[in-house]
Amino acid sequence: MGFLAPWFLAGLAALAVPVFVHLLRRHTATPQPVGSLMFFEPGTQSSRRHRRLKYLLLFALRAALVLLAVLAFANPFIRRATADANSRLLLVVLDNSFSMRAGMRFADAKQQALATLAAKPHTQRAQIISLGGQVEIRTQPISDDTLLRAALQSIQPGDGHASFGELVHAVRALAENVRAPIDLHLFSDMQRTAMPANFADVVLPGNVTLILHSVVKAAPVPNWTIESVQAPAVLADPKDPKRSRVQAVVSGFATLETKKTVALVVNDKVIATRSVDVPANGRATVEFAPLDISYGFNRCAVRIEGGDAFPADDAALFTVHRSDPERVLFVHAADETRSSLYFTSALDAAAQAAFTVQSVAAEQATDLDPAKYAFVVLSDTVVLPSIFEHALEQYVSKGGNVLIALGTSAGHHARIPLWGGNPGEAHDYSRETGPAAVGQVDFTFPALEQSQPGRDNGGWADVKVYYVSTVDPAQSRVAMRLVDGTPLLLDKPIGEGHVLLLASGLENLTNDLPLHPVFVAFVDRAARYLSGSGLLSGSSVVDSFLQLRSTTEPVGTVANVQVIDPDGRRPLSLNEARTIQSFRLERAGFYQIRFANGRDAVIAVNPDRRESDLTPMDQDVQQLWSGAPAAGAAQQSAAAAQLQYRNHSLWWYVMLVALVAALAQAAFSSRYLSTSREEL
Amino acid sequence: MQRFLDPDVLAGISSLDLLAKTVVDGFVAGLHRSPQSGFSQEFTEYRAYTPGDDLRHVDWNLYARTERCYLKRYRGETNSQLTILLDASNSMQYTSGQPAKQSPPSKIDYARYIAASLCYLAIRNQRDAAGLIVFDDDVREYIRPSTRPGQLARLFAGLERAEPRARTDFAKPLQHFQNFLHRRGIAIIISDFYDAPDNIIRTIAPLRFHGNEVVLFHILDPQELRPVLHRSAILVDLETDRRIEVVPEYTRTSYRAKIDSHIEALRSGAHGAGIDYQLLLTNQPLDAALREYLFLRQADK
Repeated sequence: MGFLAPWFLAGLAALAVPVFVHLLRRHTATPQPVGSLMFFEPGTQSSRRHRRLKYLLLFALRAALVLLAVLAFANPFIRRATADANSRLLLVVLDNSFSMRAGMRFADAKQQALATLAAKPHTQRAQIISLGGQVEIRTQPISDDTLLRAALQSIQPGDGHASFGELVHAVRALAENVRAPIDLHLFSDMQRTAMPANFADVVLPGNVTLILHSVVKAAPVPNWTIESVQAPAVLADPKDPKRSRVQAVVSGFATLETKKTVALVVNDKVIATRSVDVPANGRATVEFAPLDISYGFNRCAVRIEGGDAFPADDAALFTVHRSDPERVLFVHAADETRSSLYFTSALDAAAQAAFTVQSVAAEQATDLDPAKYAFVVLSDTVVLPSIFEHALEQYVSKGGNVLIALGTSAGHHARIPLWGGNPGEAHDYSRETGPAAVGQVDFTFPALEQSQPGRDNGGWADVKVYYVSTVDPAQSRVAMRLVDGTPLLLDKPIGEGHVLLLASGLENLTNDLPLHPVFVAFVDRAARYLSGSGLLSGSSVVDSFLQLRSTTEPVGTVANVQVIDPDGRRPLSLNEARTIQSFRLERAGFYQIRFANGRDAVIAVNPDRRESDLTPMDQDVQQLWSGAPAAGAAQQSAAAAQLQYRNHSLWWYVMLVALVAALAQAAFSSRYLSTSREEL
Repeated sequence: MQRFLDPDVLAGISSLDLLAKTVVDGFVAGLHRSPQSGFSQEFTEYRAYTPGDDLRHVDWNLYARTERCYLKRYRGETNSQLTILLDASNSMQYTSGQPAKQSPPSKIDYARYIAASLCYLAIRNQRDAAGLIVFDDDVREYIRPSTRPGQLARLFAGLERAEPRARTDFAKPLQHFQNFLHRRGIAIIISDFYDAPDNIIRTIAPLRFHGNEVVLFHILDPQELRPVLHRSAILVDLETDRRIEVVPEYTRTSYRAKIDSHIEALRSGAHGAGIDYQLLLTNQPLDAALREYLFLRQADK
């Protein structure tokens, strides 16, 4: 309790007035005449006592009146959990991302969250949310403390990458539904890498108050990690000096220059170690070659020996599938061999996989079985032997993939094999408006995937396209368009397989793509995409999704899928195994997968390396985000307390009591005065 | 008519003459409801005729109806002498009423109303001689009993002049009264009798021995009989100016017992001495006093 205007308490000096009137001033009574005192007897002693009692009552009323009036002006208030506080939704968000595994961060955060939950009023509603790779809502807004504590206790540290942007996005959606004021308590290590690049993405709605509880009190601890690993997903020849090697980048965060020992582990056996000097806060590359592995899937890891403050991120996992080189069937027109030359050269230049290209003319493909090839390329061949075309359709429906490149001959024929649609009007840009450039490129498409494409549109801006066949893009994904919007690269799922259609040719007549470096990368990624080797081995990041079956086939027409997680358990139920189309890789480790098309894969899953940077956000950023006026957790706690406990002014009630006291005082005074006049 | 006897109503009448006329006329009109009643020749009884009786008194109408001879007997009228002794000491000016409200008049006013009404009734209605003695600790005014014209005006003037002062002392005015007493009559003493009952009776009793009918009209304010005190107060004696502080508990218990005892002692002492006693509260109508006078006058015949 306190006073909002304490200087008005000086008015308490006015209490001297009733004190003087009642206690200091000499009492005088008005004598009452009577006919005779013959029958009266004096009663002095009891009379004084009675008078004193009566005057004390009046004195108390008058003193209370003065006191209450002064208190009302001083504006007293009490701090309490008001009905307003009860109407606020307490949102407890516990960060369980990978970085919370460092030290005692997660335990401390959970402890603080439990303490916050215990301090809330019993009637206040609360909701528990965990912030890992995904924003998971653990409870609905409830006031049951037991359920809330149980939900909070059940949260375990995960391997995902926290994103405050996703959290704010979820809270915005929640705030629209709840409509009540929300107190968002975030218990996290406040990683700088969790903040999105644009601060506007973390601006909270007006009815949400953010209170940050950072578990990082000291300076950022030094941490080394394997930032990236480059290794062949599929290796045919371990003695190939160009491909049989592993390159790893050791990265240090808040570290001094030091020498680190890095080991290559294959199937739980250390087969090589390297020492590398890692500069302060810098990176160093370490290479292991050759990569001597056995046939089949090899579970590999590059590990930093010696340990540090965050040992969980000292290893990077990957798998290498050793097999004989896979064959690729390249079908071309009889009079055109240039495309085969370019494609084969580009595929040989690629380092990630090993393919052997078998180039045949379309007329010679009658007796070939496509199922023996990793994928099939149809280069400007719109007329195929019917037997081979039927075999290709069967091949694609069972999971095979075909790349079709439309050359100049497509415009002369009514249909495109496998694609189904009729080719439309062909654009000969060399005669119309000059060469066309590539406009839109979907860099998320596996065959075009680039993490950070440059300003030259990932290398595609310089490509000149002279001739393009117009294709109906229905039921397909357009991965690349020309500047006039004409689709250039399309992907259509058919059965369990895919058909990738390039609306121009693979030679240098319809475009100059084979002359650009991006052609090699495109062929490499397309080959990996079409052969499925990108899915079967290598490494993924936690919380990425893996497509287990085609989305076009009806459920139940193909076999079940199987997933065995890093702990050796099967996370899918039987029903899920029959119907699931994609699977989220939520744990770090090796997943063993059997796809619906019968192919097996071992996929290494690594945490997002941004989690290894344990540097927290700057205090300024934290203050800006939470809107706290002063730095430090103490102030934030005080702000939180101020939100839960609001000052309630009592002046109105005090004034009401003062009014009652005034009325009572007036009534008593009037009664006493009238009595003294009427007596006898 | 009864409301004209109410002291609250009479307090609004300033003239004692008009007041007395209002009171007495209202009172007498109330008595004369039957034509057979009257004060001039009052029928008393029938008596059987015996030889030697005056035949003028035989009721011949009755004889004609019943053939029996009866005599009609009447009570003859006599003139009486009324002397009113009015106590005009300071204690008589007490009133519990508020000047602005309709409340009991002071004791001296109430005594004036009674005295004036009695004088009016005696002189105008009964043809009696009426006199007045106003006293406190001495005789302040003496008007001899008379039936002469103007006597009533003199009595009213004497009453008007009777303002309260000094203390009460019965001995001196009663001695004075006895000195002027030549024939027996009715003596009415109007006072609040704030004295010891024995002393009062002892002083007044000699009047009775001279054949006078003596009446004590004990005038009290209702507050004097049953005082209500909400809180302790300082009380001042109007006669002695003595002050004491009194608590309400006392007025509810001991005071009531004392004054009841005082009244009872006065009443029993008066009866023992053959004196009529009448307690009159200032909020009561005046007819009780008038009726008492008529009753005494009848008994006197």
